[in-house]
Amino acid sequence: MSEITRDQLMAYADGQLPEDERASMEAFLAANPDAAADVALLQRQSGAIRTLFEPIGAEAVPARLKPARLAAEMARRRARNWGWAAAAVVLVGLGLGTGWFARPLFDARPASQVLIANAVNAHAVYVAENRHAVEVGSDDSEHLSTWLSNRLNTTLGMPDLAAQGFTLVGGRLLPGEPDAGGRAAQLMYENAASDRVTIYVTAALPDRAPAYEFASQDGAEAFYWANARITCTVVGTLPEEQMKAVAGSVYRQLTEGDVGASRPYRG
Amino acid sequence: MNDFLDQLEACVPALRRYARALTRNADLADDLVQDCLERAISRRGLFRPTGPVRAWLFTILLNLHRNGLRASHRRGETVDLDAVPEPSTPAPQPGHIALAELARAIETLPPEQKEALLLVTLEGIPYAEAAGIIGIPLGTLMSRLGRARAALRTLTGSPAEPHLRTVK
Repeated sequence: MSEITRDQLMAYADGQLPEDERASMEAFLAANPDAAADVALLQRQSGAIRTLFEPIGAEAVPARLKPARLAAEMARRRARNWGWAAAAVVLVGLGLGTGWFARPLFDARPASQVLIANAVNAHAVYVAENRHAVEVGSDDSEHLSTWLSNRLNTTLGMPDLAAQGFTLVGGRLLPGEPDAGGRAAQLMYENAASDRVTIYVTAALPDRAPAYEFASQDGAEAFYWANARITCTVVGTLPEEQMKAVAGSVYRQLTEGDVGASRPYRG
Repeated sequence: MNDFLDQLEACVPALRRYARALTRNADLADDLVQDCLERAISRRGLFRPTGPVRAWLFTILLNLHRNGLRASHRRGETVDLDAVPEPSTPAPQPGHIALAELARAIETLPPEQKEALLLVTLEGIPYAEAAGIIGIPLGTLMSRLGRARAALRTLTGSPAEPHLRTVK
């Protein structure tokens, strides 16, 4: 008779001994009561374990453990996650798009400030020049007026500032803001003390709204106004009273006859 | 696919039973089974339809249980044995093994012996399949079973270790 191992006894107790070994095992157990008692003990152990836990397998399965329901729930969750992901993508896109198109609202300075800055800059550049302060001199003031009027697409007369002690030096054409026609005219005046003021004129802004603004920038005083026809910035480094007199005169002369610009300048 | 879900459903009672025996906590056990089923459903593509679904599910369940044990060990949690509810069923079984005593004895087994013992005795899973589920060679499974049963015998005060070594 072949050797019986502990594993074989256990396999027999567990009902897992191969069919062809069973007969010899049963013969062995019949002859060995101790071994038979061991097998019986093993079987009682297994039986007791089943008694402990087997009833759980007969309990009603809670709904949350139904595979079909779980699968449906997972599919829903997945769809919801996709929904959230899609919503996130759309929101980010909206945000980017809005931000991009709203740029002008946030980072563009008002048109008047841009024009004033340009006027002050042009003033600073050209009043320092002696031989090339202007492009066209005052001796050809007729031509200057026609030329600049054509370029700005508006009638531009040369204000007479003799009452304030200033005479026209001349003028030049400058590149300008696209919003205001893309061009600007600068007229330069000088008094006996060689103080210079410049007048920076562009075509009207798209909104054509009247506006008035004083600004002090880079040591120069600027008086800006806009109407339906032009924008004009008078720039100089004169004392305030003198500056106001010059600006007032320029305002009166350049808005004379303008429709809707009948309001007198009140400095 | 519905066929697959049906196969899962057929295994749920056994999974719950095994999970409850492992954890001795009904909620924990059902959470374990739910995790197991969800994992199985989401990995259905990985499952080869030729293999037994049951072994695959038990493998997943066991892995989840082990991960949970590792996590709770890290957190330093312990299971209070006295808090474990005793089975209400009185012992109608032949023999003299007190069930409450046995339940406590099973709790004290090392996890690897407990999972092997329950797979074979409670679930009646063949040795080879059980070894595959646990991921060990057959010989290792047999020695774990032997040690687990010897420990239970000692702990439940059953007849002293008899001469089971090798007999003619």
